[in-house]
Amino acid sequence: MSETSFHQPGDMPKQGELSRLLHSRRAWLLGGGVAAALVGGGLVRHWRRERANVFIAKNQTYQGDLVRTIRDGLLACGFVPDSIVGKRVLLKPNLVEPTRESPHMTTHPTIVLAAAEVFRVWGATVTVGEGPGHLRDTDMALSESGVGEALDSSKLPFADLNYQEVAWTTNGGRRSKLNGFYFPQAVAEADLIVSLPKMKTHHWVGVTAAMKNMYGTIPGCKYGWPKNVLHFKGIPETVFDINASLPRTIAIVDGIDCMEGDGPIMGTLKHMGLVLVGTNPAAVDATVCRLMDIDPYAVTYLNLAANRLGPIDNAAIEQRGEPWRPLVSPFTILDRPHLKPLVYRRGVLVS
Amino acid sequence: MQNDGSTVSWVDPILDELAKSPGTAYLPAGKAAAEPTALATLAFVAHERNTAAVASAYQLVAMQQANGEVSIRGGEESPGWPTSLAIVAWAAVMRQQARSLQSNIDRALAWLLANRGEGFERTDTFGHNTELVGWAYAEPSHSWVEPTAFAVLALKAAGREREAATREGVSVLIDRQLPGGGLNYGNTYVLGQLIRSHVQPTGIALLALAGEADSSGRIKKSIAWLRRNIGPETTPLSLAWAVLGLAAQQSNVPQADEWLAAAAARVQARDRSPHKLAILALAAKGWPQ
Repeated sequence: MSETSFHQPGDMPKQGELSRLLHSRRAWLLGGGVAAALVGGGLVRHWRRERANVFIAKNQTYQGDLVRTIRDGLLACGFVPDSIVGKRVLLKPNLVEPTRESPHMTTHPTIVLAAAEVFRVWGATVTVGEGPGHLRDTDMALSESGVGEALDSSKLPFADLNYQEVAWTTNGGRRSKLNGFYFPQAVAEADLIVSLPKMKTHHWVGVTAAMKNMYGTIPGCKYGWPKNVLHFKGIPETVFDINASLPRTIAIVDGIDCMEGDGPIMGTLKHMGLVLVGTNPAAVDATVCRLMDIDPYAVTYLNLAANRLGPIDNAAIEQRGEPWRPLVSPFTILDRPHLKPLVYRRGVLVS
Repeated sequence: MQNDGSTVSWVDPILDELAKSPGTAYLPAGKAAAEPTALATLAFVAHERNTAAVASAYQLVAMQQANGEVSIRGGEESPGWPTSLAIVAWAAVMRQQARSLQSNIDRALAWLLANRGEGFERTDTFGHNTELVGWAYAEPSHSWVEPTAFAVLALKAAGREREAATREGVSVLIDRQLPGGGLNYGNTYVLGQLIRSHVQPTGIALLALAGEADSSGRIKKSIAWLRRNIGPETTPLSLAWAVLGLAAQQSNVPQADEWLAAAAARVQARDRSPHKLAILALAAKGWPQ
């Protein structure tokens, strides 16, 4: 992994370091035009048996006070609001292939608006960005998900990550054979990326939440629809590598109406009523797995991330808000051989 | 195709604006990109804006690399999926104005035929025929619907309709149609689950499949599916490709001009994307033959 890390667990980067790095990054973008190089191969977090905080709120609804939930969750996890005053925050929902027939596939618009409100009140400049994985018509993704209407109503700018001009960064993870990644301008210039995933099963890798959602930061114009270049290089490996190469990322998970079974597209609704918040996406995803009664160590990209991008061991995760154990509700998964290790402990597979 | 005078009122200002720059971008104030520039070239050809068409076509020439590939934007080496659209645009300009772009087309065709998608052995994981080879967005990856349709359109525009690769591309597009009609990015069943259709890839595939015989009846189902799934609120890109695809299948939409004009107004009021405006202007007239 890259040795350019300057993050400490649960903290924002120091302002001087951030400014220096971003200055370099923006200079490349502006001076070099497209396909310019980022410096340092991303901001890899080095986690050496350190702890992370994950906040869980239960009994949540899309009509409830999600602003308060998210704000309380971030503060409980040690997030420092002053660290983002005047900074660029990119909110990244999951709009992989929206359809009004299946609203539990994509991040609910109210989660996006609530997160935006929190960061705006804290003084950040907020943009929402997404590069839908299965649709070249991004307007269709915004329309079908309801997110487009929500953004319009709140005057929130949207960055189409599939078509923006790009910057090159070296691969900070090196688990796949990709030398680096093209990231869209809004990603490359962000001071903070907030992964806003939907809590879902995934028929290839078991679970999709904060880390897998970062596939949507990769521009379709360079990697395709679907982003099949990444698939050919290994989904777990590229999930790890992308997360290891991105600017600082935190997570707010839409775990209210979730998807089980044949996720991430064709699965069925499972209501959980949860919102998860954390400053370390790997730790958040590990907690998501436990809530789904899935072994996080059996999710290959999380196993790769363990103690490299964050802790996934339960003993290394400080639980804030609600404890996870009483909230566990097993998610059905497809009865396929490659998914059996995920639920080995359950004894019975369901489909 | 909508070929009457009613298109003038909303299309002309768009074409005037696009013509101010020889290259067309995806996003306002963005750098010229090959796909929107090719679509703008075709719109200029369709609307007989000859000077603008030539300027736009030569912007694509400037983006072409020595190996024939045309990537996303000038200066980018890969991926080369927009190469197909450049070929279509150059061929249209040549047909209309007898400009010599043949060497550009030949080099692009050579690249296109040497850079197809990856096929692999059939299993029960995917419902489609994974052994059929079309075109990918980027190497190395599988064949997907839209780049395959663009390549088929390019090969047909260059007079290579009977080429084996063209025929196999057509087979890919027929094979990837869903049982109830329509296509998506390129899957039919995955792990036994039927996948949903989407408007834009269906429109693009039907455009590429114009004039093709289909004893399976799938094209007919896709036409019907597409007609059921478009309306005045359909988003601009999807609507434009749907109108182009249906027109190519001789299934014109009576309200098309009204819907396209409304979509253009929405684009003007929101992101002012030159890409979207170019394809809407093109759809108002139809894909150049």
